[in-house]
Amino acid sequence: MSTVTDRTRALGMARIRRRSFVDLSIDVVLTLFCLLMILPLVLLVSNAFKTPQEMLAWPPTVIPDVPTLSNFKAVLADTPLLRWVANSLSFALLSTLCILMTSAITGYILGKFRHRLLSVFFAIILATAIVPFEVYMIPLYFQAQSLGVLNSTWGLLLGYLVMSFGIFLVRQNVIHSIPDELLEAARIDGAGELWIFWRIVLPLLRGTLGALGILAFFQAWTSFAWPLIVATTRETYTIEVGLALFQTGFTVDLGRLSAASAVVLIPSVTLFVLLRRNFVQGVASTGLKE
Amino acid sequence: MASVEIQNVRKSYGTVETIKGVSVDVPDGAFVVLVGPSGCGKSTLLRMIAGLEEISGGTISIGGRVINDVEPKHRDIAMVFQNYALYPHMTVAENMAFSLHLAKKSRQETDMRVSEAARILGLSDYLDRYPKQLSGGQRQRVAMGRAIVRNPQVFLFDEPLSNLDAALRVQMRAELKDLHRRLKTTSVYVTHDQTEAMTMADRIVVMRNGVVEQVGAPLDLYDRPDNMFVAGFIGSPAMNFLRGTVAETGVDLAFGQGARLPLGARLTPGTEAVLGIRPEHLSVSDQGEISGQITNVEPTGSETFIQAEVGGQKLSTLVRDRIAARPGDPIAFSLKSDTVHLFDPASGQRIGRSPSAGSTPATR
Repeated sequence: MSTVTDRTRALGMARIRRRSFVDLSIDVVLTLFCLLMILPLVLLVSNAFKTPQEMLAWPPTVIPDVPTLSNFKAVLADTPLLRWVANSLSFALLSTLCILMTSAITGYILGKFRHRLLSVFFAIILATAIVPFEVYMIPLYFQAQSLGVLNSTWGLLLGYLVMSFGIFLVRQNVIHSIPDELLEAARIDGAGELWIFWRIVLPLLRGTLGALGILAFFQAWTSFAWPLIVATTRETYTIEVGLALFQTGFTVDLGRLSAASAVVLIPSVTLFVLLRRNFVQGVASTGLKE
Repeated sequence: MASVEIQNVRKSYGTVETIKGVSVDVPDGAFVVLVGPSGCGKSTLLRMIAGLEEISGGTISIGGRVINDVEPKHRDIAMVFQNYALYPHMTVAENMAFSLHLAKKSRQETDMRVSEAARILGLSDYLDRYPKQLSGGQRQRVAMGRAIVRNPQVFLFDEPLSNLDAALRVQMRAELKDLHRRLKTTSVYVTHDQTEAMTMADRIVVMRNGVVEQVGAPLDLYDRPDNMFVAGFIGSPAMNFLRGTVAETGVDLAFGQGARLPLGARLTPGTEAVLGIRPEHLSVSDQGEISGQITNVEPTGSETFIQAEVGGQKLSTLVRDRIAARPGDPIAFSLKSDTVHLFDPASGQRIGRSPSAGSTPATR
């Protein structure tokens, strides 16, 4: 009897050991990938605090031996870095706002209203997603020129007012997470369509719009080609265009580039930390991501 | 409170007609249940009363006012949905007060009506909770509360108990009925569950394929179904149907292999007929007129459901006594001829006599 119990216990222990080995392997692999992903960021921030000599030293150090702020001082003194950050920030925030508004309204209408033409509109909107921006960048440039909005935030915005993926994301979420009965109940309760959109639909789309907001913000924040051709004066550069200045035909000023990049990282990381939960929820609920 | 008159109402989606000329009167203060299988058009009809579906033909009036082209919010109705349709981002109190805010009622009146509805429904302790923090039954009550605070002329219920488990459904059924007794608001209730219909309704409207099959009080429908569909739909377990041929004028109905039932109806010999008999009206007796073989026995404790084969046709019965019966055993049933219904096999319509009315001419 006791032999049987012992054997059962031994089998149980073996199973527990095997499971903890699997768990440990998963942890090791995930940690390894996390490190690989985060290492460039860590090195970038660390480089920003290094002297030119230490930056070129081998093996590279993660924590600088002699931390210095000279790179930051040089960047802030020699370039209008803060102006570029402000340009990027206003462009990215306005673009995010516009994309959130256009996506929420269009996605809601496409998801919840019935009309023959709506499916045609939706197909056209989806079709625009497969046309690369570079294809219509030049005609758009001429439009911006004729509107007289070159070298301004409005010119930058012209290419970033609507996001077809955002419309798609909102439409899918509206269909899956807002039952028709909810809107019908509100209509019977006496609510008008605008009221329903504002008081029922928008609050329920908070997670989705949070995720879309982050995507839209970074799309504008990291955009390069459009700002490069629309903003042609040093004062109107966005940060991405400004950063490219550190790389000339012959040299790359690594110290100042790292310092400028580290400054640029601050708003991105802050935004992600603030909206982390919304982002994961919004993207996970649709199983979609750009 | 108001009456609801539905007159020759039709609904078409393209060329497909789903409601084919329905007329129903819901008297002031009545509790009328629309019942029928899935796809019979009962929910569509309710949504047309609510104004959520357009009316293709006919008229619907509430309190004598035709409301065909009136917006849902101006119909003075309240609707309770199957999935409750509670606003997930609002508390119980906010959910209930939503319509009152829209109607620009004063804060004092809103608070008063919400707390009164919460008191009636036993929700006073839950006013600050969100719907996701409530059980199914509590959510159902909040949905009811949202309807009550508006003090509407008509309540519309679209299968409100379908998402609840069996025990809770029985409890909520009683609560809803009790609520109607207190408020006396005209109510139209849609369900596919005939037990719900039988227990709650003042009047039942049985629908199939977009037409009304029969309208009547629950026991009228049970005792005197107009056709085979209503006979089979109302009552659980369902009525037995046996096909047969009239053997002698006004006396017997022969079916299968020689079993013969005495009948009082005067029918022409050779006429094909369907005999309907409810399981609870058959009694097991050694001297029974109908004999067959048991195929299945299902004891439920309080009663036993027995299925048998008689003359090649299936017959089921419900007995309260505990009997030692097993599949394969012979069994004999007796019945009272006044509990038998007769139907025309071609049209499915009732033939003449009523079980309760004794023998009447066999013509329809």
